[in-house]
Amino acid sequence: MNPIILSIPFLLAATGSAILKTKKGVQINNIFFTILSGLVLITQTLPFVFHLKEKQFGHWWMIDSFSALIVILISFVYATSVLVAIRYIGHEYEEKIINLHQYKIFFTLFQLFVLSMVVTVLTNNSLLMWLALEGTTLFSTFLVGLYRKKTSIEAAWKYMILCSTGISLGLVGILLLSYGAHVAGVKSDEIFLINSLMENSSVIPENIIKLSFIFLFIGFGTKVGLVPMHTWLPDAHSKAPSPVSAIFSAVLLNVALYAILRFKFIVDSAFLDSGWTDKLFLVFGFLSVIFSALMMLIQINYKRMLAYSSIEHMGLILFSLGLSPMGATFAVMHMIGHTFAKSSLFFASGEILIKWKTTKIPKIKNMLSQSKYTSILFILGILAIVAMPNSALFVSEYGMFSQVITQYPKTAMALFVALGVIAYAMLSLTINMIFAKEDNGGLKNKDEKWNITHTIISLELLVLLALVLWFTSSYGIKVIDAIVRDFLFIK
Amino acid sequence: MINLISASLIQIIFVLLIAPFAVGAVRFVKARLQGRKGASPFIPYFTLLTLLKKEMVISNATSWIFRVVPFMVLGSAILLACIVPLLFTGSIVGSLSDFLVISGVLVFGSIFLVMGGLDTGSAFGGMGSSREMTIAALLEPIIIMTFSTMSFVTNSSTIDGMLQSQINFLEPYAMLFIVALIFISLAENARYPVDNPATHLELTMVHEAMILEYSGKYLAFLEYASAIKLTVFSFLIANFIFPSTLLEASSLTVGAVLLILILGVIKVIVVMFGLGLLESLLVKMRFYRMSEYFSIAFVVSFLAMVVAIFSVSSDVALQYYILFSLLTLIFVVLLFGRVRLKAILRYYALSSMAIAGIALGLLPLVSPEEKNHLWLFAVFTIVTKVWAVPFVINRIGHVKKSLTNLSSFMRPGKSYFAAVMILIMIYFTLKNISIEGLTEWNTLLFTAVTLIVLGIAMMILKRNIFSQIVGLLIIENGIAVFVLATVGSLPIIIEFGIFAVTVATAYILAILSAQISELYGSTDTEDLRELVE
Repeated sequence: MNPIILSIPFLLAATGSAILKTKKGVQINNIFFTILSGLVLITQTLPFVFHLKEKQFGHWWMIDSFSALIVILISFVYATSVLVAIRYIGHEYEEKIINLHQYKIFFTLFQLFVLSMVVTVLTNNSLLMWLALEGTTLFSTFLVGLYRKKTSIEAAWKYMILCSTGISLGLVGILLLSYGAHVAGVKSDEIFLINSLMENSSVIPENIIKLSFIFLFIGFGTKVGLVPMHTWLPDAHSKAPSPVSAIFSAVLLNVALYAILRFKFIVDSAFLDSGWTDKLFLVFGFLSVIFSALMMLIQINYKRMLAYSSIEHMGLILFSLGLSPMGATFAVMHMIGHTFAKSSLFFASGEILIKWKTTKIPKIKNMLSQSKYTSILFILGILAIVAMPNSALFVSEYGMFSQVITQYPKTAMALFVALGVIAYAMLSLTINMIFAKEDNGGLKNKDEKWNITHTIISLELLVLLALVLWFTSSYGIKVIDAIVRDFLFIK
Repeated sequence: MINLISASLIQIIFVLLIAPFAVGAVRFVKARLQGRKGASPFIPYFTLLTLLKKEMVISNATSWIFRVVPFMVLGSAILLACIVPLLFTGSIVGSLSDFLVISGVLVFGSIFLVMGGLDTGSAFGGMGSSREMTIAALLEPIIIMTFSTMSFVTNSSTIDGMLQSQINFLEPYAMLFIVALIFISLAENARYPVDNPATHLELTMVHEAMILEYSGKYLAFLEYASAIKLTVFSFLIANFIFPSTLLEASSLTVGAVLLILILGVIKVIVVMFGLGLLESLLVKMRFYRMSEYFSIAFVVSFLAMVVAIFSVSSDVALQYYILFSLLTLIFVVLLFGRVRLKAILRYYALSSMAIAGIALGLLPLVSPEEKNHLWLFAVFTIVTKVWAVPFVINRIGHVKKSLTNLSSFMRPGKSYFAAVMILIMIYFTLKNISIEGLTEWNTLLFTAVTLIVLGIAMMILKRNIFSQIVGLLIIENGIAVFVLATVGSLPIIIEFGIFAVTVATAYILAILSAQISELYGSTDTEDLRELVE
C-alpha cells in the first residue's frame, strides 16, 4: 500500500478541523478520522513487525520491522491522545481558557504533527526524513504555545529555536554523508536514499562519515533531548497541553532516535564495527541518566518531573543501544514500555491539572480523597515507570543491567544509584501529592467520575502488564531480536 | 632626465590648475541632483581670487603659529600633489610616494590645521580641532592597513610601484581595497558622511570650524589646500581602478601628454560626479556614530588584507562564485554589528542575494543538467530569502515600534571584531581538516561553515529575539551554500520543501516574537526567565 494513501485521513482530519464551524463537528471529525487512520496504520504495519511481510523499499518509502514498530507506537499514542485531547481541550474550551479558533488550530496542527512523524519513520529519502522531522517542530510549536501565557510562549520559543538549530545541523550531517557517497561514485539520484547509503557505506570516505555522524548525532540528539542539548525538553513538556506532552514524550523522542539509529547503521556498516558510535551512545546516555537524577531531586512540578523522567529513559535507551547486540534488544523493549507508561502518566497529569489547576506539587494535597481514580492510576503509572517488578520496564531494565554489569561494572553501579535516586524522588513527590492529609477547606469533596481518560490509562497499564508476559516469552524475544537485526549493525 | 622632471612639473601644474574646478564640479553636481540650478563649476577660481584680494583680519590673541599654518597646510597639499603619481608613473619623485610618507604628509597638514584652530582660543576652533584629532587618530590605522594590503600584493611600498604593477580592480582584494580607499578619502577630505563641507553650523562642523578664524589670503590658502587634497584623492581612486590610464614618465610625447591631460579632466569629472551623487544620497552621521563608520572601514580594509594574503598564498584564480561568496560573508559581517532591525534585514537580504549570485556564478562550471537546478535555486533564493522572509519579519516587527532597536551584549565595533576573528579562525581550522574532493570548492565550504558559525554566534551573543531569528536564518543560508559546495543540487521537491521550511520558520518565529513582546513587554531574551528550575 502506498504510504501516500495513508496520509489522506490525516489531511482530511486536518482540513476538517480547520474548516468545520462548530466544536461538535470538529470533535466528531477528529474521532472518526483518528480511529480510521490509527486502525489503517496498525493493520498495515503489524505484519511487518512480526516479519510476516518482508522489508519493502522504493525511491521514497521504506518499511521494515523497526519502522513498523515505531509506526504502531505512534498510531496507538496518537489515537489515545486524540481521545484524551477531546476531553482535555474540550474542558479548556468550556472553561473559556481557549477560544474556538484555538480549539480548531489545536486539532489541525495535531493531525499534521502526527502525519509528519509517520512520514519521518516511513521514508527512505534522508532529506525527506529531515524535512518531516523539521515539520514536527514547525507543526508542534503552536501546540506547545497554545495557551497565550508568558510561560507557554517562552517554552514554545525555546523549543523552536533549539530544535530548529539542532535539526539544521543535522541537515549538514545528511549533506556531508550524501556528498561522501557522491564522491565515492554512487549514482546521483541515489545518494540521498537511506538503503543505498547502507549498501554503499563501505566506499564512503571515512573522515566524511565520522564528521557527518557527529553533526547528525548532535543535531537530532537535540530533538531526542540528550543532556547538553536537552534544555527545551522540560519546558516544552511541562507547558504543553497534556495530550501533547504525552505524544512528545512517548513518541516524538523515539522518532528522533529512530532517525539517529538509521544513520548509525550506515556508519557502523562502513566501519564494519559499531565501537565508535557505541561510545558516543554510552557517553551521552550515561550523562542523560545522571543529570536527570540530579534534577529530579529538586522538582516541585509534577509535569517537569515527568519530563526529566523522559530524559532519563531516553538516556537509558541510548545507553543500552550502546551495549549492542544484546543491550539493543532490551532497548527496544524499553522503548515500547516507556511509550505506554509515559503516555499514561501524562494523561493522568492532565486530569490532575484539570482538577487542581496547578502543576506545583506542594499545592496539591488530599488527592486520594479528592480524585480517587486519577490518584490510583497515577501512582500505578509511577510505579511502572520507576520499573517496579511486573512492569514491562522492569524486564527491560533488568536485562539492561545484566548487560552493563558484565561490561562496565563501575558505570553500572553509578547508573544503579541514579535510578534509585530517581525512583525515590518520583515516589516521594507522588506520595506527597496523593496521601498527604491537610485541612484545606477550599475544595469540596466532590466524587470524581470515571471518564474516557481513566479508561485509556487503565488500558495502557494493562498493556504494560501484558507486555511483561510477551517480553519474557521466547517468541517475544525472538520477534524483538529480529527487529533489532533490522536496524542495528551486528557483526 | 628632462622627461622625468617635466613630467613632475606637468603633473603639479595640472593639479594646481584643476583643483578649484574639482570643488566647483562637486557643488554643481550636487545642486543639479538636488533640483537646484547651481553655480558654475568654475566659481571657485573667482572665489579664491577674490579672497586673495581681500584684507585679512587677525585676532590679537594669536601667535606666530596662526600665521604659519596656511603656508604649512598649503605646502603639504602641494607636496602631496607632487609626490603621488597622478598622471605619470615612474616620475623622478615616484620613489618618494611611499604610503607611510604620504600618510605622514597628511598628518603633518592636519596637525598644523589643528594648531591653527587651537591658537585663536575660540570655542569653535578648539571643538573642531578636537574632532579632527579624533578622526585623524581613528583614520591612521585604516590608511596603513589599506595600503599595506596593496604593498603586500605588489611587493612595493610606494604608490608608484603599486600602480605600475597594474592590478586588475576586479580581483576581490582590489575591490575591497578600493572600497576602503573611498572610505578613507571621504574622511580625509571632510566630506559626507564624516563632515559636512557646506555648513557653518557648530553641531556638525569639523574642518570648517578650524578655519573659521581665517580670512582673506590665508583663507584662500586653506581652501586651495583642501581643494588640492580632494583632487589628489580623486585621482588616486580613479588610478587604482584604471591603472592603465597612467603614462610612463620616461616615454613622454606631446600627443601622449595631451591624451593624459584629457583623461585627467575626465577622471576628475567622473569622480566628482560620483562624489556628488554619494553626498546627495547620504546624510552626515552623528559624531558619536563615527566609530561605527571607521569600524566598517577597518573591517573592509582588514578583509582586503585577509583576502590578499589568501589569494597570494593559495594562488586561486578569480571566479565569480568566489567573489559572490566573499560578498555574502561581508554582508553578514556588516549585519553582525548592526542594531536596527531594518538594517539587519536589509543586510540579510543582500547576503541572500549574493548566495543566489553564487549559484549563478557556478553555472559555467557544472554539467548541463545541473544548470537548471542552479537556476531554480537562484530563483527560489531570491523569492524566499530576499523577499518573503524579510517581508514577514518586517511586518511583524513593524507592529511594535520598540522592536526596531536590538540590544546586544556587544557594541558594534566589538561585534565586527568578533565576526572577523571567527572568519580567520575558521579559515585556519578548515585548512587543517581536509575533506576529500572538497578542495576544489574550498571557498564555498569556507563561506558555508563561516555562515553557520556566525549564525550560532549571533544567537549566543545577541540578546534580542529578532537577533535569534536572524541567526537561525543565517545558519540556514550557510546550509544552502553548503549544498552548493557539496552535492550541488537537491531533488526539486526537496529543494522546494527546504525553502518552504525556511519561510515557515521565519513566520512562526515572527508570530511567537510578537506574542513575546506583547506578554513580556520587551524582546530581550534575558527577560525570558519564567521557566528556570
